[in-house]
Amino acid sequence: MKRSLGATALLLPLLASVAGADSIALVGATLHPISSEPIENGILILEGDRIVALGKDIDIPPNATVVDVAGKHIYPSLVHPGAPLGLTEISSVRGTRDTHEIGDINANIRAEVAFNADSMLLPVALSGGVLISHVVPQGGVLTGTSAIMRLDGWNWRDMTVASSVGMHLRYPSFRSSRRRSQEQVDKEKKRALEVINKTFDDARAYAKAKEAAGKGGATFDTDSNFEALIPVLDGRLALHIHAREKAQIESALDWAAEQELDNIVLVTGPDAQYVATRLAEEEVPVILDGVLEVPSRDWEPYDAAYTAAARLHEAGVKFCIGDGGDASNARNLPFHASMAAAFGLPKDEAIKSVTLYAAEILGVADDYGSLEAGKEATFIVTSGDPLEILSRVERAWMAGRELDLNDRQKELFEKYNSRPREPEITPRG
Amino acid sequence: MRSVRNAVWATCTIVLLATSAGAQTGDPSASHNDLPDQPRVLLVTHATLWTSGPQGVLEDADMLVRAGRIVRIGRGLRVPDGAVVIDATGRHVTPGMIDAHNHSMISGGVNEGTHNTTSEVRIQDVINPESINIYRQLAGGLTAVNLLHGSANSIDGQSAVIKLRWGQPAQALLLDGARPGIKFALGENPKQSNWDVDERRYPQTRPGVEQSIRERFQAAVDYRRAWKEHQGGADRVPPRRDLQLEALVEILEGRRDIHSHSYRADEILMLMEIAEDFGFRVKCFQHVLEGYKVADELAAHGATASTFSDWWAYKFEVIDAIPYNGAIMWDRGVVVSFNSDSSELARRLNLEAAKAVRYGGVPEDEALKFVTINPAIQIGAQDRVGSLEAGKDADFAVWSGHPLSNYSIVEQTWVDGRKYFDREKDLAYREVVAAERAELLEKSRGASEEEDDDDENGDDEVAEEPEADPTAGNARRHP
Repeated sequence: MKRSLGATALLLPLLASVAGADSIALVGATLHPISSEPIENGILILEGDRIVALGKDIDIPPNATVVDVAGKHIYPSLVHPGAPLGLTEISSVRGTRDTHEIGDINANIRAEVAFNADSMLLPVALSGGVLISHVVPQGGVLTGTSAIMRLDGWNWRDMTVASSVGMHLRYPSFRSSRRRSQEQVDKEKKRALEVINKTFDDARAYAKAKEAAGKGGATFDTDSNFEALIPVLDGRLALHIHAREKAQIESALDWAAEQELDNIVLVTGPDAQYVATRLAEEEVPVILDGVLEVPSRDWEPYDAAYTAAARLHEAGVKFCIGDGGDASNARNLPFHASMAAAFGLPKDEAIKSVTLYAAEILGVADDYGSLEAGKEATFIVTSGDPLEILSRVERAWMAGRELDLNDRQKELFEKYNSRPREPEITPRG
Repeated sequence: MRSVRNAVWATCTIVLLATSAGAQTGDPSASHNDLPDQPRVLLVTHATLWTSGPQGVLEDADMLVRAGRIVRIGRGLRVPDGAVVIDATGRHVTPGMIDAHNHSMISGGVNEGTHNTTSEVRIQDVINPESINIYRQLAGGLTAVNLLHGSANSIDGQSAVIKLRWGQPAQALLLDGARPGIKFALGENPKQSNWDVDERRYPQTRPGVEQSIRERFQAAVDYRRAWKEHQGGADRVPPRRDLQLEALVEILEGRRDIHSHSYRADEILMLMEIAEDFGFRVKCFQHVLEGYKVADELAAHGATASTFSDWWAYKFEVIDAIPYNGAIMWDRGVVVSFNSDSSELARRLNLEAAKAVRYGGVPEDEALKFVTINPAIQIGAQDRVGSLEAGKDADFAVWSGHPLSNYSIVEQTWVDGRKYFDREKDLAYREVVAAERAELLEKSRGASEEEDDDDENGDDEVAEEPEADPTAGNARRHP
């Protein structure tokens, strides 16, 4: 299953204007390009929205604004591979949730059109170094198309980096539990597979009818769901298959092979380590969606979820790391990667798993995931290794523009931290 | 690994952390039900000791343990005859961490949610000593937890404080030095805001929550008076015994501590006011995500705070939750802990503590106290656990590196001077488990051909909870 990553994402033109030829030089930080070795006491030069040069002893353009970042570290923005950011606010308040559409077949759903540019969750994610995120719709069996979004901007259009990044399929679960008997699970699985297969069969028939109509054949009624599936059928659009359990993953891979679907991404959990050899052989890119998880079976080693990334790496699987889709704490994404590193994933692979590899798997590596000349100037300035909680994200640039890293939480901190102390409070009794 | 002097060889057993899976760890196939040995004398040497006590952080320090109790901490301690020695060169040693809010080892549901007052219900009756969570949390350096009832009711059930003595029966887990506790709850959960319940019950508002608690305490005052009147001979008919009110009388008399689920500043003030009116104190506000707004009031009342490091936005009442909460309350004199309320998070509370440094700049040793001595104070067991000090239980964790670093892992966890977790032993034991599993599967295949024997399916533990059962899952899904 060889595939070219990135061929399917529609890269939208950047709306932010390029402000003349003024350049900015960030001087004195350790640059962590990710795609190459760190550069101590380096210089990073931006022009407009782009990185134009980086290195140790490079010329600073005479008109450049010099920003002193001595002693700091510069990393590319973390790339979140799947959070419902912008589609949800307060998860228990239904009116603020736009993540789950009703019905099985929602292939026509587009995540970006409901992305709330002023969600209070976004600045908090920015403060944690997550400047861009893959936003995935979640309702139904075929849940729709995802988008890569900037987490700062004026509205969803100018915040959309790439729309139609992937079509999302939630593969049916195989697993019984205390609340779901094996009979129930089998019944639901059978029904869901029938729905999926019928949908794909119908979509193929639809594509044929459409092709025939284009050649002067019979007219046909447009169906937005089938339209959305055509690029999946012809391999232009990646099908992101969500399957977390071993048997489910194996079945999903079999199913994709039967369907002759080449361009797939597996969105999965720690069980992927049990299928690692096959995933490597078939070159299926993997989004390991969560490292900080409790092993799902009593008999598994206590660190089974922590070591999954190392097992994938050892097997040669192309993967990036997610956090299970936690919108309000998307800022904690890097700490999933560092736990993987604590349990065997090499540190340089850990940072790649939340930057470059995510960008590659999601098809936006031309712009994101590393510091390289020609890429978008979207990066963070930190006090140290961003995978360490003890480090801090101090500044950030998005498309060449420095972000205001204030957020609601910092405002509340300032307000109440400056409350006059009340030594005179006397309890009533 | 540090070289060991000949004289030391003559008198003691050496445990080499990095290399030895054998000597002290014993037969890897030994059952986990065996009580681990308690060395008569144990000496941890050359460690960076995070004492969480008056001695602060000591580098290249030793800790002497006798019969499960710490007896001395210092540098260059003499190696007593027959001592088991842990050479912790390059390692960090912290007190065993304590989780002031945990539900991981409770059988069945954690919420008796049918009544709004369930103070007669006792978690200690439903501790599950076989929960694998005990072992997994030990493996993260945790040694004691406050097992709390859920937050369905204004007045919930009685809690149980246990040590993670993996393999021991339920009654042997109880930390007998801890204060009796009880869970209370305020806000959206007791007023059933996020539940699809068929039968609504009082209260449905925060003012109703206040009255539902105040009324019960008044009933407890009356109940106590009735007993006194009976005992004084004024009333010859004894009052009917009421287990709910007896628990509340214990609170009134300072014999049982309230741990109250809470979020908003208003409800925190409200419960403190009730307590003050009835002449007692709220020991600990749990979650208390707006505690930073009333930090001075909490300190003046004498309440402690057990909060999340950074959870927010999962309910409307936590819209103002901030990760600086712990830092502000700490700065204003409140005893602060970070808790897990989660079987996953309980395995890495050290990293939660690190967030008090990240958000608000709490010094590192003070931040570690958020998961050691401070929760010990909250459960009333500070004389026994929570710090490395002479006279305290030898509950500690040995770390591969700085305990607030994301890259450090726990190598050993000791409780009562017994080693309940050893990563080397765990790794070695995996082969034994795998072999036993394979053997059992083989037998089961032979026994029933028609049985689905796909070993990855049909486990009783659940990877992901299916669609929300709002009542049963409430405590976990919406803390």
